[in-house]
Amino acid sequence: MKKLLLLTLAGAISYVSHAQFSEFEGNAGSTFTLSSDNNTLQIGGRTSFFYQYRVMKSYQGESTNEPKLDKDGFQIKDMDLDLLGKTSSKFVYEFHISLVDLATAAATNNTANPANPGIKAGYLMYVGWPVHIKFGYDKLPFSLGSISDVYATPQWSHSNLASGDLFSRRDIGLTLNYETWKSRINAFAGIYSGMGENFYEYGQDNSGSFEYVGRVEFRYPGKMTYHNVDEENSPVPQLRVGINGRYENKTQPTGQPTVLQSYPDEVGPYGIRMIDGKRSIYGGDLTVKYKGLSATFEDEIINMQPVDANDPLFNATPSSFNKGIIMAGGYVAQVMYNSEKIHSTFSVSYEDINVNDLIVGDQQWLNLSYAYKVNSFNSVFKIEYYLPEKEDVNSNPLKYTAQLRVGYQVVF
Amino acid sequence: MRFSVLLVLLFSCFLFSFKGNSVPNCKFKFEHFRSLNKIPEPSDIVYDKESNHFFIVSDHGILFECDLSGNIIRKAPEEGLDFEGVEVKDSFVYVSDETPRKVYKYRKSDLSLVKTYQVSWGGALNRAFESITYNYTKKCFLLVSQEPVSIIEYDDNFKEIERYPFHGVRDMSGARWYKDKLYLLSNKDECIIKCDPATYAPIEYYKINVLNPEGLAFDAFDNVLITSDDLQRLYFFKNLPTITN
Repeated sequence: MKKLLLLTLAGAISYVSHAQFSEFEGNAGSTFTLSSDNNTLQIGGRTSFFYQYRVMKSYQGESTNEPKLDKDGFQIKDMDLDLLGKTSSKFVYEFHISLVDLATAAATNNTANPANPGIKAGYLMYVGWPVHIKFGYDKLPFSLGSISDVYATPQWSHSNLASGDLFSRRDIGLTLNYETWKSRINAFAGIYSGMGENFYEYGQDNSGSFEYVGRVEFRYPGKMTYHNVDEENSPVPQLRVGINGRYENKTQPTGQPTVLQSYPDEVGPYGIRMIDGKRSIYGGDLTVKYKGLSATFEDEIINMQPVDANDPLFNATPSSFNKGIIMAGGYVAQVMYNSEKIHSTFSVSYEDINVNDLIVGDQQWLNLSYAYKVNSFNSVFKIEYYLPEKEDVNSNPLKYTAQLRVGYQVVF
Repeated sequence: MRFSVLLVLLFSCFLFSFKGNSVPNCKFKFEHFRSLNKIPEPSDIVYDKESNHFFIVSDHGILFECDLSGNIIRKAPEEGLDFEGVEVKDSFVYVSDETPRKVYKYRKSDLSLVKTYQVSWGGALNRAFESITYNYTKKCFLLVSQEPVSIIEYDDNFKEIERYPFHGVRDMSGARWYKDKLYLLSNKDECIIKCDPATYAPIEYYKINVLNPEGLAFDAFDNVLITSDDLQRLYFFKNLPTITN
């Protein structure tokens, strides 16, 4: 796997690229731009709020004195600022921060939400050569659900598969990107710290090893953005097929504390974002758009090989049974319909994830959402109904049986 | 109770959302297309009567002169960043560069760069000027912005004269002066809009079947040509149909 990714990286050096993950590039909501002889700088941002209502398992009604344990109430989803610039010497740079995440991290000593430290992008990219070279912190070229802009959908949050609980979504490192054959082939390859969003908390880990990530897309008849709603009402069918993989070996040096001891925030809620050993993730995705209808499907498989046979991930199973391997992963399927006549987008998605095949149980989620667009997704009213169809009582016990979020979003 | 309030809100949204299109309109389908394999991301096209050639610009900041089949004859040595618009007037070719908000004036005879003008647009980095054309009725240049859509008039030194917000479509990707009318092209709404030369009010809509239309031109026989940058194609249409409704 590692060799394959390195070969992809080396091969990509001779080609061109144009794609970006910026949530603000080409967004008409961003209306502030300064330009001088050598530099153009766009100032953008996004703010959104919603009311969240959860149907709690333990809540028996007003007649009982049982405390209501849900989190009903208003929440701030976004309060982001973005600076995106291009220079005449063909450098692109971007700084994207979430003020909500920064404030939350500061107020809770980074304990409330360590995987969202407040920085969403900070990179410099050179676009003057056939291969675009990006250095810095940004989304990883992995997982369609992670790359895609959730703000440009009726949903309020990413799927569980691509939310960052199973694998990191952002990291610091070097990314090469190349497009060819009339933009039908789009390839990424990169090396990263492997510490994901927790790089700010821990820096590089004691192993000093990197994570290698690669992604190749075939798009027909041509380019396709990572906005999965078909707002263009495509007159001809558009297709994108992507495959991606990533690999890291974070075996800690002998005598050093384990990954779980040294980097408890990075391992994530299921203990699989980073493991003491080898981990590879591979998968693929499919996107189709036509006449307002769009459908996406994504599947990711996680293969973990901890060095310690007593690693908690093995769930105390004998090595003769587990063969030293733990598998995880899942799939997400989503169908959306956009109608400009009624300014509306409808979405249905379903996902099934298993965070450890040695622990009984998986989780299945149904998501129904609707957006009324006053001005595309730059000024939009969203309703999201989230229903856990099947609960994984061992890995992710839930207090609620349904969740409703209603709110408004503005991109400026 | 909460659900009832939500349902009422939702229904209200629907009630306010429907609107009709009172401007005459019709469908307009292309005859054939040709790949522009050697022009990366062709974004605008203009026909030059004098040379009987096309001038095509690329998102990669290159100005090309092509024959009527789209074959490259020559290209300008001076490049920009993100060429999105091209117009021919007298013995010069004018090119708009979207990202840095510039207009380049090339000499048509040798494609040498004569002058650069700075223009301003506060909209998003990559949603700025998508095309340039000349209004022969009002004797001024026009730059059209992609989103929000505006038509901006400039004098011959690219000093701004007037701005006209345009609400007929969601975005704008092309503009061309033809037979005393302004014709605009929308990418998201995939249509050509015929406009009044003085007020720019829409007169007619022509719905086209092209993915990602970017540049609009009319040749010597009044045929319509449209470039698609993502697909690197030049689409050939016949004459604009007469709308009867």
